[in-house]
Amino acid sequence: MSLAALADHASLLLLGAGLVFWFWGTWPLLESRSYLSKLHALSVADTLGSALMLLGLLLRIPGQWPLLVLALVALILWNTIFGYVLANCSLASRLPVRREPPP
Amino acid sequence: MRRLLPLLLTIAFRLAVWCLLTADLSRLNLWIGLVVALLLPRARSRPLPLGELLRALGRSLLAVPQAYLEALRLMVGREPVEAEISEATTDGAIPLLVFLDVFRITLTPFTIVLGLEDGGRRYRIHALKPGPRHGGLTP
Repeated sequence: MSLAALADHASLLLLGAGLVFWFWGTWPLLESRSYLSKLHALSVADTLGSALMLLGLLLRIPGQWPLLVLALVALILWNTIFGYVLANCSLASRLPVRREPPP
Repeated sequence: MRRLLPLLLTIAFRLAVWCLLTADLSRLNLWIGLVVALLLPRARSRPLPLGELLRALGRSLLAVPQAYLEALRLMVGREPVEAEISEATTDGAIPLLVFLDVFRITLTPFTIVLGLEDGGRRYRIHALKPGPRHGGLTP
């Protein structure tokens, strides 16, 4: 098998795996689970699944590698930190608000 | 060196992003990128310990394959149970190290940082742990 055909097959495999991750991680959003366990599942779908898809695209369109690498790095950093921000916001609503005693 | 390191890191990171964005390594473009990197506003930075930084970077990179392993374990493994744990910060006073720690912990599907506690000395972490076996008693 030539190298191009191998890259083609590998990219299909990566795209498919990314799609599986996406569906697996998005399905829990529709169930009645705790907010944070949905966030755990979403980190599988959004960050890891999308990263696999971008790797697949990288094999498929190697000429566009600078933009794809930039997208990959931005996606992983941004998704992860956004997950932390969402988790942190949920914490604020769970904690009792400390109020100043009325004068 | 410790004082110069944050500046060098910032410039190098901005220049790398500029080169990826423009996909052009001609001399003129590199000069423009350098000027842009220098002109963009910088946060006031503190001296960075190089060893700690390299160790944190290495652990963050290692977290990527680990995240995929954990994702597979989460997908095929037993139904997990939720727990709250805490972990000591590498150095709570240096924002870059806190950022790398938060990134490393939150990237893996089993753990998400909820925030800092104990005056910035520990992370509060929401974690998933493999649940009890079917039909068995919880240990």
